[in-house]
Amino acid sequence: MKIVVLLSAGLHPVSGQSILPKVEAQALRLALALGEARGRHAGPTAFPASDALGHGLPHLVHVEIPAEADPVPALVATLEADQPDLILAGRRGQGGDETGLAPYAVASRLGMALVSDAIAVERGEADGTVIVHQALPKGARRRLVVRLPAVVTVHPDAPAPRAFAYGVARRGIVETRLAPPGLPAAERLEERPYRRRPKLMRSAPACGSASERLAAAMGATSSGVANVMVNPTPEEAARAILAHLRAIGVLPPKAA
Amino acid sequence: MTRLRRNPRGERAAKAVAGGARIRFDLAARAEDRGRPRRDPRAESAELLIGGHARPRLDRSGAAGAAPSSVEETAPTAPKIAVVESPAFLIAVVPDALGERLSQHDRQLFGAARMLAGADGAVVALVAGEVEGLASAGADRIVAIGEPGYDPEGRAAAIAGALSSLGLRYVLFPETSDGGDVARRLAVLSGEPLFSDVEQFSATSVSRAARGRRVEQRAASKRLMTVAADAVAAYAGPEREARPEPVAPAAPIKRAILDARRITADPATTPLTVADFVVSAGNGVTDLALFRRLAEALGATPGASRMLCDAGLMPRESQVGASGSVLTATCYFALGIAGAPQHLQGVAGCEHVVAVNTDLHAAMIERAGLAIVADAQDVMQALIAALKEEGA
Ligand SMILES: Cc1cc2nc3c(=O)[nH]c(=O)nc-3n(C[C@H](O)[C@H](O)[C@H](O)COP(=O)(O)OP(=O)(O)OC[C@H]3O[C@@H](n4cnc5c(N)ncnc54)[C@H](O)[C@@H]3O)c2cc1C
Repeated sequence: MKIVVLLSAGLHPVSGQSILPKVEAQALRLALALGEARGRHAGPTAFPASDALGHGLPHLVHVEIPAEADPVPALVATLEADQPDLILAGRRGQGGDETGLAPYAVASRLGMALVSDAIAVERGEADGTVIVHQALPKGARRRLVVRLPAVVTVHPDAPAPRAFAYGVARRGIVETRLAPPGLPAAERLEERPYRRRPKLMRSAPACGSASERLAAAMGATSSGVANVMVNPTPEEAARAILAHLRAIGVLPPKAA
Repeated sequence: MTRLRRNPRGERAAKAVAGGARIRFDLAARAEDRGRPRRDPRAESAELLIGGHARPRLDRSGAAGAAPSSVEETAPTAPKIAVVESPAFLIAVVPDALGERLSQHDRQLFGAARMLAGADGAVVALVAGEVEGLASAGADRIVAIGEPGYDPEGRAAAIAGALSSLGLRYVLFPETSDGGDVARRLAVLSGEPLFSDVEQFSATSVSRAARGRRVEQRAASKRLMTVAADAVAAYAGPEREARPEPVAPAAPIKRAILDARRITADPATTPLTVADFVVSAGNGVTDLALFRRLAEALGATPGASRMLCDAGLMPRESQVGASGSVLTATCYFALGIAGAPQHLQGVAGCEHVVAVNTDLHAAMIERAGLAIVADAQDVMQALIAALKEEGA
């Protein structure tokens, strides 16, 4: 199985230093567990994607493009020749536009399937398939059987990346290729410095007196008029609680 | 702008009373064109008088004058439903609707769509299967897109079909793992521009954070948008029509996802911060073995107040509150917890709270949507018995 990991140049969330995004190092770990993997990076320099060599990547292909160019056409052009079975990528960029569209664009141009938010990937029972475990909100998971070739994006809940080793990083190979000419520049949107804004209060009524809004903001009476049962029998209380839990949908309905 | 010059002689002449030998004037008579009418406080209070009382009583609520007409109005009015008969344009919403219910995030999406639709446009809910509460959420039309279940490829193809056949002006998705996935698939499938993770939403422009929250990108509303949670308030107007609209079934497509199975989270190992349903014990719970059995029977993640964690009766990871975990659960079930402010901070994000406490005046009872004033041990026992009875 030919596996390629897409690596990008990210920014550290706190210091703003150029780093390999953590989720891509996690993707690399998933790839190495499946078999031999190669890295692919499109950007002006191989660093910081070359940090992946220290996390166990043996071979990185660096496609040299200008800083302001859109990396997708360059990646697609070099990937078309390689015909990988499985491409792993992070779920969102880090430090760029952070739209998460690049893996989708790559998958669509290469005619590959896409599965998002993986935390584990294993070989499937049938040939040419993989089993992907997908992270869902609230701790739930989904097990998917996917036909190859496919692009799989990796979720931050995946296992932590392999430790960085300097010697391993020295032994890794970086192969630099020139991008095909005439790449379009990425679209730029109007930008200004980020400004924090007041958060929307979910339970706050749009109108009402100041004291009501304050009470709602403090989470005091968000459930509206409380339904209070004073000294019910335990059976009555149990029935009321179960009915309420079913009404709000946290408990499965009664098995008839 | 000069004031009209008064003419005292003319005014006086206007007040002259005709007839009689001597010239007489009625000085109380008012010229028609002078200022606001004079109030008659006596007549006004006479109107407010409520009959049938020994002492005169006035009704100053304003209902007295309107009383006869309001009686007619209140008789048979059904709840008013807002209808958009022939919409000028359509705004589509693709809610996640996990388990055929709308989440708070989905409702906020409808709020955003209503903001874009204004008075002329209609909001179309693109849903798979029967979803409850679309009318009150603010949907004017409902269009079915396939069957319920995980099928992002089919969903994206169906929405791409609806995009052209219905001529949707905007399509809104929630920025969740599933909603965001379908939105991005649709963006590459249809070639339409996508503006993802909208944090500031208005009728004409949207903005989002980028480059690690260092900059803010702004643009005019794009055709496809994914909206972050808590960016827009949910729709709070009158109920809408939610009329099902027929749509041609999508052409079959080749799917690469051959099988999908949802594995529900194991409540015993789910971290408290992501758990959906948390049952929590406080100082009022003395029988902790019973409490653990209840948590297992309900399929809920066990939590505790600081009193129990400090006493070593529950693990520190299970502490809920300011110095423990801040929950994002849908439902929080508090047993014997007083509801100290430090504890309530951890519960502030929970949609529903159920409390059992012996003290009617506990803060937790005040916060709860369903409050039971009773002994926690007895209620736990009865709950386990009731669940066992249903299971048997
Ligand atoms: C800096 C700081 C940080 C803190 N952080 C946290 C935190 O993160 N999380 C936290 O939980 N606390 C925290 N606390 C502690 C907090 O102030 C309270 O002391 C604690 O939450 C009280 O726990 P409790 O409600 O279980 O106990 P109690 O206050 O003792 O309340 C017990 C409740 O159970 C009821 N009860 C008694 N017997 C029964 C019965 N048989 N059946 C039913 N009900 C019964 C009583 O009426 C009472 O309401 C913090 C305090 C400080 C100073």
